[in-house]
Amino acid sequence: MPKPFMNTPPKPEKLGAMTAGFLQEAFAGESQASQKYLAFSARAADEGLPNVARLFDAVAYAESTHARNHLSVLGGIGDSSENLKEAFGGETFEIDQMYPAYDAVADLQGAKEARTSIRYAKSAEQDHQALYEATRAAVQTGEDMAAGPINVCPICGHTVIGDAPAECPVCGTAGQFFRTF
Amino acid sequence: MGIDPADKKLPQPEDLDPMTDEVLHRAFAGESQAAEKYLVFAEQAEEEGFPSIGRLFRAISFAETRHARNHLRVMRGIDTTAGNLLAAFEGESFEIDEMYPAYRQIARSLKNHQAVRSTSYAMKAEVDHKSMYADARERVLAGKDIDDLPVSVCLICGHTVIGDVPDKCPVCAAAREQYRTFA
Repeated sequence: MPKPFMNTPPKPEKLGAMTAGFLQEAFAGESQASQKYLAFSARAADEGLPNVARLFDAVAYAESTHARNHLSVLGGIGDSSENLKEAFGGETFEIDQMYPAYDAVADLQGAKEARTSIRYAKSAEQDHQALYEATRAAVQTGEDMAAGPINVCPICGHTVIGDAPAECPVCGTAGQFFRTF
Repeated sequence: MGIDPADKKLPQPEDLDPMTDEVLHRAFAGESQAAEKYLVFAEQAEEEGFPSIGRLFRAISFAETRHARNHLRVMRGIDTTAGNLLAAFEGESFEIDEMYPAYRQIARSLKNHQAVRSTSYAMKAEVDHKSMYADARERVLAGKDIDDLPVSVCLICGHTVIGDVPDKCPVCAAAREQYRTFA
């Protein structure tokens, strides 16, 4: 029996500026579709439609493969040290610029729920920024980070290395509901 | 001790002025892209022999999906499943009819071959998704779930199939071992 052909994702290439611009848009579109479908899957499960929930999960995964392909062609995937630097930079932008500006708009317009959603996100991005910075230092000496569980709050995204706290310090969710990686 | 997520109120849908709606859409776009990037970065870390860094990226990706969901909820982006299936169907239709044909044409004219590949893969899979969403919506409107069958996805091009996995992917020729099954 001949060995099956194993395909590989599209590769980075030198792109015309116009192509690079739209591929960024396509990456944004696929990323948002994937996240929407995950939220729709949770809703279908709540409505007692497990098979529709599965369809949404599978299609969300398909959109993730498209997002990855576009990101690959854009040259957006580096080695882990570069990826940690990119991730750190993204979190820093969100903490220092994006969420403070967005919160100011929501405050001005009295959007209470929007402010809660923004506050949860900004708080977690601070956890992430610190974790990426510490991890990058380890990788640059050629080492993996220390093994051990990572816990994430299912409501606000608070992220902690090691055991989950008794309750989330950001939103009060009980630690037993944290998702453990 | 602590609040049960079933009782805990997630950020609630609310009436938003256009400017707040706009910034929340942007925040949703940012969180969605971060979540996808971190999944890819997790795979890269695992390939480099850093499984714990892979786990860190996966955990933080999940945290970003919580933020994306919260933002989407506040801006009333989550409906009943019948409504969600319609929104999903319309999104796929736009990508098939307008977005990807235009993008692919640009990539072709500039001879960016990998970009042509990446857009073609996506456009073909969106056709599968569109018809699956249309079928599912009919069932849900009749008060029924869809059939209890596995759904499999090609991990290279995203080809999506309900039921048996083909011997090789009809879109990109990947081997059947390269499918991920949602059973």
